[in-house]
Amino acid sequence: MIEFPLALLLVSIVGAVFAGFVCSTMGVFVVRMNLSPIGYLMSHAAFAGAAFGLMISIDPMIGAILFSFATALILGPLAEKARLQSNIVIGFLFSFMMALAFIFLNYIPGQAASGAALRILWGSILSVNYNDLLYLALLSFVLVIFIILFYKELLAIMFNRKLAESSGVNTRLFYFTVLFLTGFAVSLSLRIVGGLLVFALIINPTSTAYQFFYDFKKILIFSPLIGIISCLVGYYLSLLTDFPIGASIVIVSALFFAIAIVVSPKRIKGNKKKRMQASQT
Amino acid sequence: MKNNAIELKNIVTIYEGERIPVIENINLEVNNGEFISIIGPNGAGKTTLLETINGLLSYTDGIGFVFGKKIPSSKSEIRKEIGYVIQNFEIDPLSPFLCKDIVMSGRTGKIGTFRFATKKDWDKVWFSMGLVGMIDFANRPVGKLSGGEFQKILLARAMAQQPKMLLLDEPFANLDLTSRMQIETLLNRVHQRYDTTIIMVSHDLKKIPMGCSRIIVLNKGKIVLDGNKEDVLKSKIVKTIFNGNGKKK
Repeated sequence: MIEFPLALLLVSIVGAVFAGFVCSTMGVFVVRMNLSPIGYLMSHAAFAGAAFGLMISIDPMIGAILFSFATALILGPLAEKARLQSNIVIGFLFSFMMALAFIFLNYIPGQAASGAALRILWGSILSVNYNDLLYLALLSFVLVIFIILFYKELLAIMFNRKLAESSGVNTRLFYFTVLFLTGFAVSLSLRIVGGLLVFALIINPTSTAYQFFYDFKKILIFSPLIGIISCLVGYYLSLLTDFPIGASIVIVSALFFAIAIVVSPKRIKGNKKKRMQASQT
Repeated sequence: MKNNAIELKNIVTIYEGERIPVIENINLEVNNGEFISIIGPNGAGKTTLLETINGLLSYTDGIGFVFGKKIPSSKSEIRKEIGYVIQNFEIDPLSPFLCKDIVMSGRTGKIGTFRFATKKDWDKVWFSMGLVGMIDFANRPVGKLSGGEFQKILLARAMAQQPKMLLLDEPFANLDLTSRMQIETLLNRVHQRYDTTIIMVSHDLKKIPMGCSRIIVLNKGKIVLDGNKEDVLKSKIVKTIFNGNGKKK
């Protein structure tokens, strides 16, 4: 097991907790609002943006935020009207973003930067600093306030956007707010989880929580909780095995999801019901 | 301008990116407290008309007023007064929503931004769930409901809003006879007791509720007939459109 100074360990543990919280909280909305294709693209745009930041010698986080916001602004309206199909996202836009990222990485000045480039690619415990913690804590606070203040609007939109709109909710405003908050969550978690895998931390914990609960409130509580646990267990696994932290977190969260699918009371009951119906007919 | 529930003049609605209007030259006046059925074959523009009325769709030409306010510019005010039940949509059986929360979501606009649901709001939720006979389903997940039960929850959601007008898009679709009769009785009761304006869309002549007094026939985006129930049902136009047997062509 690798040994680190206590201060560094604490900073990175708290960072992992916050990253787990913000990503898997946004996951609840991304999954329910079918924003996965655009969220996926935004996370890779953030990676390209971070590489761009390194290339022009600014904070990669700023580049990540700018690129993910630009993606939300350009592609958000298309995705909103279901004109952005998943196959286009994966087949064309994803490869375009990755190509951009690798071109930017290629032009990063100096030898020392190659380590930084690799860190944004697959995440690193060592790259978390106090500023990252501060921003992540701030975003966590904003998310909690956002959910408390607009819970009823969010629930209405998550159930059915058209019905929510017909009840007087400005669904467009919430749609773009969710996109931008996702952009922030992805960009701020990039250094810990890595640009290639950060989107898994958005999807996996939420998908795991969906296997157990029928109450939206419980999903909102347990999805971040599962995200935090995935990050902490992944972090420990990373220390233990020297795996990249992003990969360890994603493996743990994927494992949780696989277990959830097997033991999900929702699916077990559903399967029993199906078997009973089949035996009656 | 009279203070009608609805006043539409030469309304044309074209979907974004399309050229052909879905509805055109729609002239319609609806008085407060009327119970109207809009009938027509699939693709006639019935849902588009409903969504133009509640401002979900913006019209491209003409002018429209609902409760004396111009649509869609006053849509946020108007929507608080309109309960909308959309066409029965597929609900994921694993959906993480309880019935009581769905019914409460109907009150979102009424409660207002930055405000939380109060006991009064919950009382209205329990009342409207009781009205549709679904009070025992309050803590059930919506994904576990049958088509009829889900339709009742959607109706309770609209009723929880305490609307002046109900817009119902195919409320009897996918319902068995018992559920249909229950919802029909409920609509008649709501109409009589609260003087709610009800506009209901249907593609089946046999599913027009007893309480409905006026029928509007839409075909290819135009109103081809508008009159009292008995006269419209006897007309040749309806027989032509519906092939004389009460079913769409």
